[in-house]
Amino acid sequence: MFRFALRSVLARKTRLALTSIAVVLGTAFLAGTSIFSATLSQSFDNLFADVFKNVNAYVRSSDVIEVGFGIEERPRISSSLVDTVKEVPGVLDAAGDIQAFARVVGSDGKPLGSDGQGPPTFGSVITDYKGSLWSISSGRLPNGATEVALDEYTFDLGNFTVGDSTRVIAQSGSREFTIVGVASYGDVRTSGGATFALFDVETASEFLAEPGVVDQVLVTGDGSLSDEELASRIDDVLPKDSRLETLTGAEITEEAQNQIGDALSFISIFLSIFSYIALGVGCFVIYNVFSISAAQRQKENALLRAIGASKRQVTGAMLIEAAVIGIFGSVIGLVSGIGLSRGLSALLSSFGIDLPSTGLVVSTSTIISTIIVGLLVTMLSSFLPARRAGRVPPLAAMRETAVETTAVSVGRLVSGLLFTIAGVGATIAVIAGADAVLLGLAIVLVFIGTLILGPIISRPLALFIGIPIEKIRGVPGRMARDNAARNPKRTARTSAPVMIGVALVTAVTALAVSIQSQIRDVVGEQFYGDYAISVNSFGFGGLSPDLADEINELPEVETATGIGTAAAVVDGGGTLLTVITPQTISEIFDFGFIEGNVSSLTADGIFVSESRAKRLDVQVGSPIDVTLADSSVRTLTVQGIYTKDEIAERYIVSRDLFEGTTVARFDFGVYILTRDDIPDEQARAALQTTVDEYGVGKLQSIDEFIDEQAAQINQLLGLIYGLLALSIIIAIVGIIITLLLSVYERQREIGLLRAVGMTRSQVRSTVRWESVITSLQGAVLGAILGVGLGWIIVFALRDQGLRSFEIPLMSLFWILVMSFIVGVIAAVYPAYRATKVNILRSITTN
Amino acid sequence: MTFQPPAPANTVAALVDHASKIYGTGDSEVHALLDVSVQFAEGEFTAIMGPSGSGKSTLMHCLAGLEDLTSGTAIIGGVVVNDLNDRDLTRLRRDKIGFVFQSFNLVPTLTAEENIKLPLMLGGNDGDEAWIAEVIRIVHLEDRLKHRPSELSGGQQQRVAVARALASQPDIIFADEPTGNLDSRSGTEILTFMRHAVKDLGQTIVMVTHDPVAASYADRIIFLADGQVVDEMREPTPERVLDRMKQFGN
Repeated sequence: MFRFALRSVLARKTRLALTSIAVVLGTAFLAGTSIFSATLSQSFDNLFADVFKNVNAYVRSSDVIEVGFGIEERPRISSSLVDTVKEVPGVLDAAGDIQAFARVVGSDGKPLGSDGQGPPTFGSVITDYKGSLWSISSGRLPNGATEVALDEYTFDLGNFTVGDSTRVIAQSGSREFTIVGVASYGDVRTSGGATFALFDVETASEFLAEPGVVDQVLVTGDGSLSDEELASRIDDVLPKDSRLETLTGAEITEEAQNQIGDALSFISIFLSIFSYIALGVGCFVIYNVFSISAAQRQKENALLRAIGASKRQVTGAMLIEAAVIGIFGSVIGLVSGIGLSRGLSALLSSFGIDLPSTGLVVSTSTIISTIIVGLLVTMLSSFLPARRAGRVPPLAAMRETAVETTAVSVGRLVSGLLFTIAGVGATIAVIAGADAVLLGLAIVLVFIGTLILGPIISRPLALFIGIPIEKIRGVPGRMARDNAARNPKRTARTSAPVMIGVALVTAVTALAVSIQSQIRDVVGEQFYGDYAISVNSFGFGGLSPDLADEINELPEVETATGIGTAAAVVDGGGTLLTVITPQTISEIFDFGFIEGNVSSLTADGIFVSESRAKRLDVQVGSPIDVTLADSSVRTLTVQGIYTKDEIAERYIVSRDLFEGTTVARFDFGVYILTRDDIPDEQARAALQTTVDEYGVGKLQSIDEFIDEQAAQINQLLGLIYGLLALSIIIAIVGIIITLLLSVYERQREIGLLRAVGMTRSQVRSTVRWESVITSLQGAVLGAILGVGLGWIIVFALRDQGLRSFEIPLMSLFWILVMSFIVGVIAAVYPAYRATKVNILRSITTN
Repeated sequence: MTFQPPAPANTVAALVDHASKIYGTGDSEVHALLDVSVQFAEGEFTAIMGPSGSGKSTLMHCLAGLEDLTSGTAIIGGVVVNDLNDRDLTRLRRDKIGFVFQSFNLVPTLTAEENIKLPLMLGGNDGDEAWIAEVIRIVHLEDRLKHRPSELSGGQQQRVAVARALASQPDIIFADEPTGNLDSRSGTEILTFMRHAVKDLGQTIVMVTHDPVAASYADRIIFLADGQVVDEMREPTPERVLDRMKQFGN
């Protein structure tokens, strides 16, 4: 039986190829993301091992504020520690290191690096110290207050030559420097598209931070001690109450690797979600192809049964065939995955994220898991069709034609309805107050229910969608409509991948549109300015607080106010405080104060959002302890409570709070109300001039600002669409395969139609419209499910402040148009095959 | 393509002139038709007979434009079939030819009525309603119109096929073993309808068969052997046909 099955696979190369395509597509993405993630994490591991190779110990503050998204802030430490550490026996050398915001202005006067959410722009230290993380690749080390070295990427980006002078913007303002060298970090040109300006330690302290402080001290041993002993000796000489810690070289390397590893694992989880979706969609295609091929081979299987093969043997033969296809497809998928992972790297670098290069990491576990997953998925998808094939009665061998059973069982109706009703019920329960976790279950239940009910819904739906097509297209339309409806199970299975794809696209779009309308609402309700100057740097660097003050001085400006954030620990947890200028904010923002007055916030006061105030059980007048990023603890008094917390979030403090601290302070935005009697163009020109002087920040009108905020959602949406495109491609392939098999099955019918006068273009039209009906059927069901799914997600996020759900009507329209096009595209080859049907062979009986 | 107006009665509906059809090349060359010239008069019921491999089906297929001639000419309703491209050939089949095949004559998703009107619908016209009603009445299908082929008996299916062939009032109907798969009663029925269509409605029919009884319904029989016309018979009876057939050594 095994050899028979094997021969049967090889004898039908076309079917083998068609079925394998589904397996290949599903596993290729899985392998691709796995290889990509492994390669990425390997290259960063190598990078940090290289960078820290001469660092045996690492001294830094033990205080840390974690503000989420992997961002943590530590207080700076005194640079005098470098000398203290150098005295320790066993230490060869030590040097201070700083990482802070700095932005290099290019030769064209524009700041380099991205204004938006791109990679950050850093300032750091380069010295001749042996353990220095950076090394000079051309030119020389910067020395003194007017010299800078740039990393290769920034150097190229700015089109500089050594000896050029350039402006660099940092916390303390901007300053002219002479570029004296080009540096590399380990062996990479750049760490993922970030830009670096490198100074000697003193200049870095004074220009990037405060004189006399560094972020950490790097220590190189003389080789007489192990790293652990060295670290513990250094610990011994550190002041006892100084809140400092010493890490070994291995520890800091591992920490850096883990930090980037966490960020990367987010990417890899994100990618694998989509590869599993693609694989799931692929399952449907595999299942469908096996079902059709089992039906088409009914006679052959019946003959086997008639001459004495057992049910088990027939089923077994089909499963062996599936296994061969599974392994064959997975191997090709694995190879394609290697290509795909190269593609992903190329894609990232086209977005300006240049990655350290290492050879592709194709681990044994990737190879094994890809093949096992591919094999399992194929076997599982083919199990039901194989079992059905075994059940074929031997008598079927004598029957004229074999067709798939089209009877719809009561069991299907009942179980489908049960699943759907249970899902809807769970949703209602959650609305009525049950735990939101149930929503996940509800989604799964409704999806399963819809899939089970698919064949029942399919026929009426296909007939319904076909009505206008029949009206417009005459006989081919009529034939297409009937063909789409004649085998509801097949049509349902073929359209299911489209349904899943469209449901996800719709849900994501609905979520995005809801968030966008929320952004518009929030900004509209809380912001009354005319212009905004913004910079988006995730709490790292930003606009100088002086910018807001200077703009306030402009004659065209009524009021301008800056808003920033600062990391702090409140009530035991790391958080970001919103930092405002109380004197200027009141005319421009409305945070919905129910108690207190925004203008009267003092340096020792804090405003708390209403929901946070309830959580902390504080009222106006209550004291709150806040630990700032320099480890100083302040007891602030609650001076007001506000309700609109979408922009201001949990806490608001005054910028005066940071007077005299070493905490880096930036505004993420400056918001401006211009004078009514000044023409817009004049006001804008004046603002732009000031912004240009500072070199950082993007000036936008209120409308542009809101549009851009909303457009940021579109970027993410675009990425998700891109990843879902793979599922859509698999769905298209599924339609192509099904149509090809159907055309093959209906050869005689097509031949007859051609004989009695159907033209080739009418034949093509018939296949095309059947494809369109199938695709639209999936799209219609998917759109309905997607809107429901979107609503559920928005509902689940209502605690995150998402208030309104919007149906993306315009997007739905385009999704339907796209599905229409998908149908047309999928039909091209099968329709061509249909026109090649040999009329004579179809009508002459044998 | 230009269709000429219908020729007057008793003119030629279709003809092949010095028609040859060769399959394969070199040593494996097979001459299915060898310089055959035959004319089919309008309003006449012609049967083509001959043993297996005599070329009778090939002759019909070439005449109907389903197969190319290697050399020679085939003409239907004044149109040279050889010259036509696929699109015009398809239109010719749709508008000027009716087909009745041995089996699998009907489109399974369409009702009997839709199958009858299929060539008309494909051409985008409704046809002559009165004529179609008449055809349906003649083949006794009035109460079967809404049925699908799977709900019809073999005889009923062939009647639908005959009705379809008649519905568009073609220049010529080709019937390829139309009774080959039927029991004798149903076969007789079909042949009677065809006879009726020729005699009373002036239809031209060319039928390929190897059944002497079926052939005896024709006005004229052409005998083929080894790709050549070997004999012709007018006003046949089953006995005479059988006798003639015996001479082929069957």
